Amino acid sequence: MVGTVGAARRLGGRGAFAVTAAAYGVGSLAGALSVFALLALAGTVTGIGRTWLAAGAVLAAATAAVDLRGGRVRPQIRSQVPEPWRRALPLPLATFLYGFLLGTGVATYVPAATAWGLIVFGLVLGDLHVALVVGAAVAAGRALPVLVLAAATEDGAALPALALRPHALRVVRLAAGISLAVAASLVLADTGAAGLVVGSPAGDPSAAAADLAWEQPGVGGFLRRGGQTVQLPGDDPAVGGTLVAWHVGDVVTIANRATLAPVLVVHVAGAQKLAVSDRWLAVRALRRGGARLVVQQVTAGAPQHGVAATPFAARLGRPALDGDTLVYSASGLRGSSIMAVDLPARRRHLLRYSRSDQLLQPSLLGGRLLYVRLTRCSQQLRLGDLDGRRGRILLTLPPVAGQDLGHDRDRTSQGARVPCGRRVRATSRLLWTSALASTVAYVTVLRPAAGRATPTLVSVKR
Amino acid sequence: MTASRHLADRGLSDAVVGATSRRGFLARVGRVVLAAAGGSAIAAAVATPEAEGFHFCGHTYTTGSCPHPTGLPRIDAHGFPLRAFDGAPVDDLGRPIDAQGRPVDAHGRVLHDADRVPLPPAPRTRVCEGAARAYGFRAHIDGAWYRCCNGHVRKLTDCCGYVRNRINGDAALTGYCYAGRKVFCVQYFDTKVPC
Repeated sequence: MVGTVGAARRLGGRGAFAVTAAAYGVGSLAGALSVFALLALAGTVTGIGRTWLAAGAVLAAATAAVDLRGGRVRPQIRSQVPEPWRRALPLPLATFLYGFLLGTGVATYVPAATAWGLIVFGLVLGDLHVALVVGAAVAAGRALPVLVLAAATEDGAALPALALRPHALRVVRLAAGISLAVAASLVLADTGAAGLVVGSPAGDPSAAAADLAWEQPGVGGFLRRGGQTVQLPGDDPAVGGTLVAWHVGDVVTIANRATLAPVLVVHVAGAQKLAVSDRWLAVRALRRGGARLVVQQVTAGAPQHGVAATPFAARLGRPALDGDTLVYSASGLRGSSIMAVDLPARRRHLLRYSRSDQLLQPSLLGGRLLYVRLTRCSQQLRLGDLDGRRGRILLTLPPVAGQDLGHDRDRTSQGARVPCGRRVRATSRLLWTSALASTVAYVTVLRPAAGRATPTLVSVKR
Repeated sequence: MTASRHLADRGLSDAVVGATSRRGFLARVGRVVLAAAGGSAIAAAVATPEAEGFHFCGHTYTTGSCPHPTGLPRIDAHGFPLRAFDGAPVDDLGRPIDAQGRPVDAHGRVLHDADRVPLPPAPRTRVCEGAARAYGFRAHIDGAWYRCCNGHVRKLTDCCGYVRNRINGDAALTGYCYAGRKVFCVQYFDTKVPC
């Protein structure tokens, strides 16, 4: 390829060489971006990455190990680029097509096993932005050596020397192997910390026994029982005891969870989020920009009681029920709290409070409280006793905001302070609503947006 | 930093400005007053220079910054944290927020959840009060001094308390604190007054 691109200079001078070299570079980029964009698309559409992310990372790490050892690249592709193109086509077009083929990374001889690892990564990550960056890097790796050598030598004199000294390729393979091994280990570490994706878009989980209900934005509520998923005839489903609840507008339906036969239908103005147990229904209702929390016994004609209210809807979290106990979060500028209400006695208890952290979206099961704690330096899904004496972190995400240097750039760092002690990378993901089952915890991972956020439902072992 | 140290470190112009700004007059105001009095040479001398050598513009001496959600201890006129590079109000989690404390994106638009309900506001604490809470003393804002930074007058405020040691860990100094209180940490407010 060096000879083909370099020939342009002999035949047409510097101008022709520039055009041919540019065509080769653009072709490489187009080939690589096409392949990795398709891989990302396939990964996204099939959802393969959600299940096989860890396996993909292991496979990528294995290919990295091959390059680190300098082993043979397998599988290998024996085919070559079509030689007649350079004679039959205008040289810039021919080099563009050659670049396209070589840019794919695996259309001809594969010089490093990491090429296969990158393809696996492109598929399982299912992220178009990452895939395009990887594709651009692959294209650069493929095109630059050819262009540099073609520019440096008119007759390809450097090629024999390069062929006789394989150390350069060995170094490149080593560097590629190390990079991929690091990337694979990071993905593996992140996979271990991030739990298993149950569904996306899906959020606002509710769990009872082995059953799980969730909301798919714009579609409706779903219930998974015994491995089978059914769509419910309403939104924002909640399960508890033997019941399931959903709502259509202001009409809340409580049904038997096994048969989905309605048990009770009630009207709650502004109904938006539900919680249900065998004896109680709790509803977060939105009205005139504010929110209120309403409870009612699961009995026909039972009165509705207000438990909490706020003039700003966002400040009152989603309710959760366990038997006769209701829990919810309240957030404000002066502090954040998680409250419990003993419904028969109508007694309120403060379970958690913070003046600097944000406490969100609790759920309760058997005296164990699951909730989200956003601190300045991390996001935590925490499981603990009601009294707060014992607890542990089930899942951690990076903080929601970055930090500066703590000092002006042109000044000393003496006296500087940064909140998180070291450079941290903030994430746009947010731990959100939670649900607690006997063996697993569920949490919505939200990507907040100015419009509608995209939720992903994740499960974590307790 | 002690007041005497301040005065000793500065020239005549700084001493004049410093003496006025201690009681709340902006350096620029002092400059205008002096110029109006006919002393153009004095006015030129009073031009507030940028302090150099310490960890942010306008700060003199070595007392450390107050703990701040995003690092540099920039505050608004009421002592609440602002992001240093653009002056955006931030909550205790470091997120930019709107006037109601709701998190916003880079364009100032309110962030929503999957139901299009705004995200809940997180706590927001005055920077000096946050320092006092974290280190166990009662916060006082006593005096302030002024410097010209990035083309605007900057008000630098000591976070004071009845403390023996400053945030650095060594002995606290009197600085711009009164009634026996001493400086625990420092913060600043960027005014809109050009200089």
